[in-house]
Parts: sequence; C-alpha cells; structure tokens
Amino acid sequence: MAQGDYMDEHKKKYGRRFDHDERERKKKARDVHKHSKMAQKSIGIKGKMIAKKNYSEKALMKRTLKMHEESLSRRKADENVDEGALPAYLIDREKTSRAKVLSNTIKQKRKEKAGKWEVPLPKVRPVAEEEMFRVIRSGKRKTKQWKRMVTKATFVGPGFTRKPPKYERFIRPSGLRFTKAHVTHPELKCTFCLEIIGIKKNPNGPMYTSLGVMTRGTIIEVNVSELGLVTPSGKVVWGKYAQVTNNPELDGCINAVLLV
Amino acid sequence: MVQYNFKKITVVPNGKQFIDIILSRTQRQTPTVVHKGYKINRLRQFYMRKVKYTQTNFHEKLSTIIEEFPRLEQIHPFYGDLLHVLYNKDHYKLALGQVNTARNLISKIAKDYVKLLKYGDSLYRCKCLKVAALGRMCTVVKRITPSLAYLEQIRQHMARLPSIDPNTRTVLICGYPNVGKSSFMNKVTRADVDVQPYAFTTKSLFVGHTDYEYLRYQVIDTPGILDRPFEDRNIIEMCSITALAHLRAAVLFFLDISGSCGYTIAQQAALFHSIKSLFMNKPLVIVCNKTDLMPMENISEEDRKLVEEMKAEAMKTAMGASEEQVLLTMSTLTEEGVMSVKNAACSRLLDQRVEAKMKSKKINDHLNKFHVAMPKPRDNIERLPCIPQAILDARAKEATEMEKRKTEKDLEEENGGAGVYSASLRKHYILKHDEWKDDIMPEILDGHNVADFIDPDILLRLEELEREEELRLAEVAEDEIETDGEELSVEQKNQLAAIRKKKACLIREHRLKKTVAQNRSTVPRKFDKDKKYTTKRMGRELSALGLDPSSAVDRARSKSRGRKRDRSEDRGNDAMDVDDEEQANKKQRVRSKSRSMSISRSMSRPPAHEVVPGDGFKDSTQKKAALKIGNTSHKKRDKNARKGEADRTIPTLRPKHLFSGKRGKGKTDRR
Ligand SMILES: Nc1nc2c(ncn2[C@@H]2O[C@H](COP(=O)(O)OP(=O)(O)OP(=O)(O)O)[C@@H](O)[C@H]2O)c(=O)[nH]1
Ligand SMILES: [Mg+2]
Repeated sequence: MAQGDYMDEHKKKYGRRFDHDERERKKKARDVHKHSKMAQKSIGIKGKMIAKKNYSEKALMKRTLKMHEESLSRRKADENVDEGALPAYLIDREKTSRAKVLSNTIKQKRKEKAGKWEVPLPKVRPVAEEEMFRVIRSGKRKTKQWKRMVTKATFVGPGFTRKPPKYERFIRPSGLRFTKAHVTHPELKCTFCLEIIGIKKNPNGPMYTSLGVMTRGTIIEVNVSELGLVTPSGKVVWGKYAQVTNNPELDGCINAVLLV
Repeated sequence: MVQYNFKKITVVPNGKQFIDIILSRTQRQTPTVVHKGYKINRLRQFYMRKVKYTQTNFHEKLSTIIEEFPRLEQIHPFYGDLLHVLYNKDHYKLALGQVNTARNLISKIAKDYVKLLKYGDSLYRCKCLKVAALGRMCTVVKRITPSLAYLEQIRQHMARLPSIDPNTRTVLICGYPNVGKSSFMNKVTRADVDVQPYAFTTKSLFVGHTDYEYLRYQVIDTPGILDRPFEDRNIIEMCSITALAHLRAAVLFFLDISGSCGYTIAQQAALFHSIKSLFMNKPLVIVCNKTDLMPMENISEEDRKLVEEMKAEAMKTAMGASEEQVLLTMSTLTEEGVMSVKNAACSRLLDQRVEAKMKSKKINDHLNKFHVAMPKPRDNIERLPCIPQAILDARAKEATEMEKRKTEKDLEEENGGAGVYSASLRKHYILKHDEWKDDIMPEILDGHNVADFIDPDILLRLEELEREEELRLAEVAEDEIETDGEELSVEQKNQLAAIRKKKACLIREHRLKKTVAQNRSTVPRKFDKDKKYTTKRMGRELSALGLDPSSAVDRARSKSRGRKRDRSEDRGNDAMDVDDEEQANKKQRVRSKSRSMSISRSMSRPPAHEVVPGDGFKDSTQKKAALKIGNTSHKKRDKNARKGEADRTIPTLRPKHLFSGKRGKGKTDRR
C-alpha cells in the first residue's frame, strides 16, 4: 500500500460500515432497473448507442450460453479423418504442395487466354455520362461548353503532364488523383496499401479506361513486389490485377480485391 | 524551482470513451441541419467544418496527453529513474510515441478529406466523405486503445506517488528489511507507516516531515534492501536504490544488532559494503537499533569488529564529524536515542549543505545580497541605556504594590478559611465618601418605593439649570450696556465703509478667479501680462496697511536669483531692480524654475549608482548596467504613453447609429 492510497488506508484503519455488503448487493440489484430505465428514456444518438451496447452484450451472452450447452450435450465424435492427416512420425517432415500451385497457375493462364475474367464483382451499375463528367463553361462569355471535368477518382501515370489547359478537353483534377489502393488478398485475408501501376479496364467503357477513371468494378494493376509473391518458375511477381470494390469518390480511398 | 506534482495530469479516457467524447462533441458543437437544396458551397462548408472540428478536438485531447505526461529526460533524475523502475521507460515512451503518431495520422486524414470535400458535388457525396473521414480517425484512436489504457493506469499510480522534493534537506532511512526503519519514521514524523514483524512491510517510498532547529526536513522511509546482485533486485528494492542514488540526503543506515529481524550482523555488514558507493559524498550515520533486546556492549567480538569496520568506512566520508555523530545506538521501542539520531543526521546534513553552498560558484551572488551592519564604536565612552529616576521609582513602587496587594483568597485564608470568611460585596463600591459604603439603604420609605424617586443625574440637571440662569442674567446686563451705531464718529464711519468696500472687492475678485480657475490651468508667471506681482506693488500695499515694507522687500530680493553676468560688459547696470529684468532673463528664469522643481538630493544618501552593501551587486559598474537595463526596459512603454485600462474613460453613452431612425430587418447595430 503506497502512501497516497488514501482509500485503502482508510479502509484499513476504520474498516467498512457495518452494512457495506448489504448496500453493495442492493445497489447492484437496483442497477439493472436503473439501466433499463435509462435505456428506455434516452433518445437520439444516446439511445442508439445504449441499444447497440445492450444488443452486443446480449449476443455475447447467448453465444457463451450456447457454448456451455454444447460442451454439456453429448455428441458423436467425428469419425472421418481429415484429408491431409499425417501419422505422427511424418509430421515434422517438410511437405510440398507444389501440385496445387501449379494447377492454379495453369488455370489462371487458361482464363487469361480466354480473355474472360471471373471477378468478385461481375456486374456493376452503369455510370451515366452526366454523373461522370461535369460541364465546364469556357470562353470569354462562358458560352462554350466543350470542356469536361472528371468527378470520379482517377489515376494518371507518374510522368503525366497536362495538355495545354486551353485545349484540354477532359480535366482530371489533382485532388481526385489517387496513386495507392488498399488491396485485400482474398486467401491471406489481409490488406496491403499498394501502388497503382495502371488501369486495366473500366467496365463503363474504353474511354474511361483510357482516361484512368476508377469506379466500382474497375480492374486496376497494382505493384505487389512488397508482398513477395513468386511465380512457379521462381520469378518475383511485380504487377497483379485487382478489382475496385468500393466507390472511391465517396470513401476517399480505393479498396480492391486481388485477383488470384 | 520545479515542483513535482503528478496529481494534475488529466484523466486519459479509454479508446471507446475517447471516441464517444469526440463524436458527441462534434455532434453538439457543429450545426446539424442541412438540406439538399442548399448551394453546393454551403454543403461542402458544412461537412468540412465537421471534419475539421473533429480533427482539432482529437488533436487537442491527444496533445494534452503528450504534454502532461512528464518527459523522463526532463524531470529530475530521481523521478526519471523511479518512473523507469516502476513503469519501464521503453514501454512508457512507446505508449506516448503511439499517441503522437495517432495525432499526426489524424491530422493527415483530416487534411486529405477536406481536400476531397472540395470536389464534392452533392449532399450525398459530401456526407459519405465526412462519414469516411470520421470513421478513419476513430479507427486510428481505436488502435491505440491499449496504450491509452496503460497511460491511464500509470496516471493513477503516479498521482499516488509520495510528493518528494529532490532538492530540499532530506534524511533517507535505509537498511535490511525488518530492522525498524518504519518504526523510527513513525517516531520522528507524522507519516503513519505500517509496522509489522515481518520483512517487506514497506513496499514503496514513504515521505514524512520533521523539524530541527526551525528548519523542515523531509524524511524518506525506503523499503528494505537485501544483499544480492543488482540485476536480481526486484522493483521494491530498486525504489530504495533509486532514492539512495539520486537524492543528496543524509543517509541513516539501520543495523539490527539484536538479530531479531532474521538477518545477522554479518549479512547487514555485507550489504553495507556492497552499496557503500551510493553513500559517497553524503553524510552517513550508522544506527544500531533494538538496543533494548541486546545492548551494544553484549554483542559478540566478531560482530563488534564488523561494526567497527563499518564505522571506519563511514568516518572516511565524515567530513570532520565526530565519532558520536557517525555511530549511534537507539531503540525505537523505548525511544532511547531516537532524538539524538535525528539531531545527528540533521545537523550533519545542514553542515554539509552549508559547506557545499559556500564552495559553489554562485556564493558571491548570495553574499552580495545580504549585509550585516557592524557599527564601529565612535569612542571609548560607554553609553548605557538611560532610564529616568522617576520611572525607576515608579517601577519599584509598582513592584512592591504588586507584592503587597492582597487577594480575596489571602483574606479568606487569614480569616478562618473557606466557609467561615464571608467576602464583603460592598468593599469596592465607588462612592464619594468611604463611610457611605456600609450605609443601610431602605427600599421602602413611608409606603413608597424609594427606587421610583431616584433620578441618577439630578445633580447634573441642577448644574445645567444654574448655568442657564447665569447666562440669562449676563445677557440682560449686556443689553443695558449696548448702544446703536450713532455713537461712531465721522472718521470711524469712513473707515468702516472702506473696510466693507475692500471686503466686497476681495470677494468679487476671488469669485471671478474661481470661475476662471475651474476650467483653465494656472498660467505660468512668464505670461503674467498684468505684472501684478511685483515688489513695488508689494511695498505699496504693505505700506498702505501701515506696515513697514522694507524688510519684506529685502527678503524677496534676497530670494530672487542675482543677475548673471551679461554678455555685453558695458551694460553694467547693477541695480537690483527685479521688475526691469524680465526681458533679458526670460530664458534663465524659466530654466531656473525647472531646476527648482527637480528633486533635491539629500547629501546623506549616496548617489544611485554607488553600491550599498546588501544590494546584491558586485560593483558599481554592475549596478550601473542593471540600472540602465531597468530604465531602458520601460522606456518604450513610457514613450508611447498609450491609453491604458486604468485611464478614466466615458464611453459614448448614446451612439448615434443606434438611436436614430427605425430599425430594419438587418443588423441590430446598424440603422
Ligand atoms: N524490541 C524492539 N523491537 C523493535 C524495535 N524497532 C522495531 N522493532 C520491531 O521490529 C519489527 C519491524 O519493524 P519495522 O519498523 O516494520 O521494520 P522495517 O525496517 O520498516 O521493515 P520493512 O518495512 O519490512 O523493511 C516490528 O515488529 C517492530 O515492533 C526496537 O527498537 N526494539
Ligand atoms: Mg518498513
């Protein structure tokens, strides 16, 4: 007990009040009612917060109860042995699953050749041109309307220079340019912040692909050298494709899933 | 001096609370109503404000955490090491570092999203961006939840650390566990430390205060130390070691000579020798405790040798202290020798501190500041205090009277003691004649209550009446004597008229002057066009009053400055005619006036730049420099002479623009 622990010190010197335990018990018993009253009374964001907390507690409680029940109820043990099960004396041997990797790459190769992709987001909502571009009025009297500004997130290469502004038809504002994407590896189940190398395809049309517009469903190429992926032939994989899964202009970042 | 008070650190909320606090504040402190139809600019502004506001709040809160927690390198090494021992420096720094990173990350997120919001083109998009921004900030804070929890724990623990001042006079008690350190502490201070008959009762540092020669000393009780390698020591022991290493204190090394603590003297001596490097340059006192169980004389020969060895070691650093002040015996049970231990420790500490101070470089700065005046005797005559004889007599008389005066109690004793003697209540009545004291006062006389007829100040009234009558009589007599003004002669009448006229004249003049004086400052004599106040006039007026003006005129002349030598020699007009000089000496006169207004310097006081002992300056050049700095420091301020808040102002009571015309639907401060 340190010197400043006045609560402990007091307890030690003078003890507790004679009905301390009783009061504690009653207080605890009352607490539930108090809490419920509060939960019913509060409205707005506070109410929502309390409801959410209550719900999560309840769910947790149910889960634990169920777990206890499971352990109590008798079940027949699984008879069938797992596929890759090994006898104990073989466990510390190194094993190779080369075959699987090989077959994977072959599959991918085939897919690529067919030019058909099986992607996580096969269909996306088409984006209208008015939504994609904003008309910029130009000219001294602001009567000319041939300029467009892209309102979605874009990617421009590192060596990009604008055309002379006077003649630039499509303006890609620098505030909406992105160079990095949060890419999730579906098998590793983890996310990396990777550099974008280029736009492979925008589902809304080749024009958007060439402009580098990134909307939901766009296939982008990302730099995966950090991940240290290796091709079956032993080369380090550099670029890989990924599909954008969110609306970058609404979220302020690009989330994508690696295509493997 | 830095005060170490860790009690003021604000509470660190845990991650979830943190987010709740910030988000609900954003909700409450920023506008909440928007509509789709608003101009896009307004929409963007609305959401940008939310993002920025949230960021500033996060920043503020995280910054307070970073600033309020002490930097281990910047606080006193004692506290630095103590905190390191208790909480592990690396962990602590890591936690603070994470908080700092989170702060930067949040700022960056806010910046990015504000930039993106500038391109928002609809309410929906702006809102999505805002949600994303706040969400990401909250995620950052959620990630540092463990650090925040750790910091909160540390905060609570730190608030309860004893408030030890590492720089004051300190007495440190150390030794093996269970040797009676805390018992001694309880004896000399009011700190209520736990005393139990087992080892490691005290688990942290305890501080108490005691007095010695009107100075306050801080006494620190430390946990017991075992004799083992440094690396093996646990946190409890390390607290003691830290205190020993960093506090410049008097150290009391406690020895239990009875061995009832469970450790032999040999073990304790071994500890002494293993930590003796920590006693360097500190006054060290070896205290043999529990002499009631085993007196010092009874200990075995080997033990005595060990004690002597320790004593010899302690004497090495004793710095001229006597042996009695190095090795002491005491028993906290019988309180024998407790005070002498305290006194020895305190006095040795004080000596050492004074010596150290005398050796320090700054000593001259301190010595300059005080000065003890030692008056030299003027001659050999002895000047004793002079008390007049009358006073001496009075004193002697008073003394004898004091002796002589009999109290009521003495009287009682003389006259038969309690119960027999009855004190007279009338003895101290204050009456005109003493024999009245014993008079019997009737209450009822002739069937009337005497008290009803008593008027206590009847004599006074009688006196008053008599006086009034006298006055009346005198008035009557005067009336008979007084006559009318007819008796005045013609000459007297004239004189009276002249007096009255003059009076009226003076009053009028005065009134005139008063009206003018109210709103005009006094005009300098230089511009006194009327030349009213001249010696000539004074002479005239005085003689008119029938007085001899010559002496007054002479005096005025002697007061006026004698004429300076003129530039042209041939104007040797030596006449002391003051009235004529105005033209020539206008300038000089003005100057002389200004000179006369300057403060006259007392000759008994030394000039300002001369050093007076006790001033705090080395020599007069230093003082001159200091004075100069002091003067220049307020020069600018003086020069500006701006209106300050202390100046009286009358604000515009009814500003025109608020009291004219009708109020439109515009602003309230414009018409
Ligand atoms: N007979 C006797 N017993 C003493 C004396 N001084 C202390 N004791 C006893 O020694 C025991 C330990 O005393 P403490 O003051 O707790 O010792 P400590 O050095 O503070 O011990 P730790 O805090 O564990 O390091 C207690 O039971 C005291 O009553 C003494 O002078 N004579
Ligand atoms: Mg103790």
